[in-house]
Amino acid sequence: MRRVAVIGVGVTKFGRHERTSAELFAEAAADALADAEMPASRVQALYYGNVVGGETEKQLHTGPQAASVLGIPTVPTTRFETACASSHAAFRHAVMEVASGASDVVLVGGAERVLNVPTADSTEYFAYASDASWEQTLGLTFPGVFALVARAHMHKYGTTEEQMAAVAVKNHKHGVLNPKAQFRKEITLETVLSSPRVADPLKLYDCCPFTDGGAALVLVSEDVARRARRPIWVLASAAASDWMLIGDKRDLSRVPATERAAAAAYRQAGIGPQDVDVVELHDCFTIAEIVATEGLGLFEPGAGGLAAEKGWTSLGGKIPVNPSGGLKAKGHPIGATGAAQICEVVTQLRGEAGPRQVEGARRGLTHTLGGNTATVLVSLFGRD
Amino acid sequence: MTEPTVTLGRFFEQVRDGELTAIRCAACGALAIPPKQLCPECGARQWEPVPLSGEGTIASYTVIRVAPRGHADDAPYAIAAVRLREGVSVLGRVVDIPLDTLAIGLPVRFRPISVKDRSAIGFGPA
Repeated sequence: MRRVAVIGVGVTKFGRHERTSAELFAEAAADALADAEMPASRVQALYYGNVVGGETEKQLHTGPQAASVLGIPTVPTTRFETACASSHAAFRHAVMEVASGASDVVLVGGAERVLNVPTADSTEYFAYASDASWEQTLGLTFPGVFALVARAHMHKYGTTEEQMAAVAVKNHKHGVLNPKAQFRKEITLETVLSSPRVADPLKLYDCCPFTDGGAALVLVSEDVARRARRPIWVLASAAASDWMLIGDKRDLSRVPATERAAAAAYRQAGIGPQDVDVVELHDCFTIAEIVATEGLGLFEPGAGGLAAEKGWTSLGGKIPVNPSGGLKAKGHPIGATGAAQICEVVTQLRGEAGPRQVEGARRGLTHTLGGNTATVLVSLFGRD
Repeated sequence: MTEPTVTLGRFFEQVRDGELTAIRCAACGALAIPPKQLCPECGARQWEPVPLSGEGTIASYTVIRVAPRGHADDAPYAIAAVRLREGVSVLGRVVDIPLDTLAIGLPVRFRPISVKDRSAIGFGPA
């Protein structure tokens, strides 16, 4: 298998947009191609993530639509749907296409538009990623899924609502430093703890927002990367799944798919969690960040809450997590999120992250979780 | 092709009739929630239906306060993951238990409920 590198990244402003998801993707992709100094005519395939286009935009077949709006209508396109991990799944398959020798230049990305529909509707559409017969019927929401995780984690390890709130405070603090972030405002523990309850024990500020946005990156073979200015190497890209039904999961305080994907990624790269300098992980809810830091091996099981409370995951801490602001403050356009996390880690490893730069970062990790914890992707990156 | 021992439709018909039915692998004895074709433990394709007691304890729970469209009139409502006595777990709506008395480990008992005219699993006091 050939080595693969990311040589261009592009991310739209996250937040509310009056443009279609295809337009948002196309802006990010044109930015990524310009960043890579790569003519669009050299792109051989598009791997695309989009989740609720069928619901919020009455639009299926979003892959060729995105390619058409970008202006590369004839390249093969495939749309991936693994709930919130969609564009990270697209990325992993694109890595395999380039590593195999089938293509030298591939575009990866995703986009989502949800703020054009009422919150009750988007809440329902996101719930489609849980089981229709067993879970949607009961009125289970995604905050509800992670509330079940939170309650189990609190019971098993003594994790507190204050520790969860510390994750939100930290990611908002980071988001202030990111001009693309949806929220650029610091909050306090009290802001989180006094916010309206959504699904006990989770409150409004434990939850990431609904977001419109797009992200894209240019993935190339080693030969092409050697002629690029700042290639960032893909050291690993791994996926894992788990039982679909919440009831079938044996221990709700853990996300086994994170543990399996991380183990596979570390094995592929030949490194361990101690070798990672910067992490972008899936903080769809504050508890999700705590459980992910444990599942990725950054902290012992049960220590993720303490790590957040002590600031070990802040910029300047032991292992900075979500310097972009994470899903919590940067925003979570679900089809674009995996690609956007990769764009941030690439920017960090290039040393171009400005005020949110993790000093001297050489290796980075991205972690994206899909739906009810049934899909997880983990990728590792390194600079020369 | 082999018709599953308990289809999804049949499972929820039985729920409506007040019965919870698991399936047991004829080869290795593993207990599972239907429908499944292959045993996740041993790969065999032979299942036998097994009635469940409906008795269990809460493994985790939440109170949904911001509900999806269509469920808003029910909010707030509680959903619990319940570990049944036989060792399998299912989710259900909590009924007739005060929300402020919910706790992990609380004993509960299955009862059939209807949510928006669909058969669903409920759990009430043990």
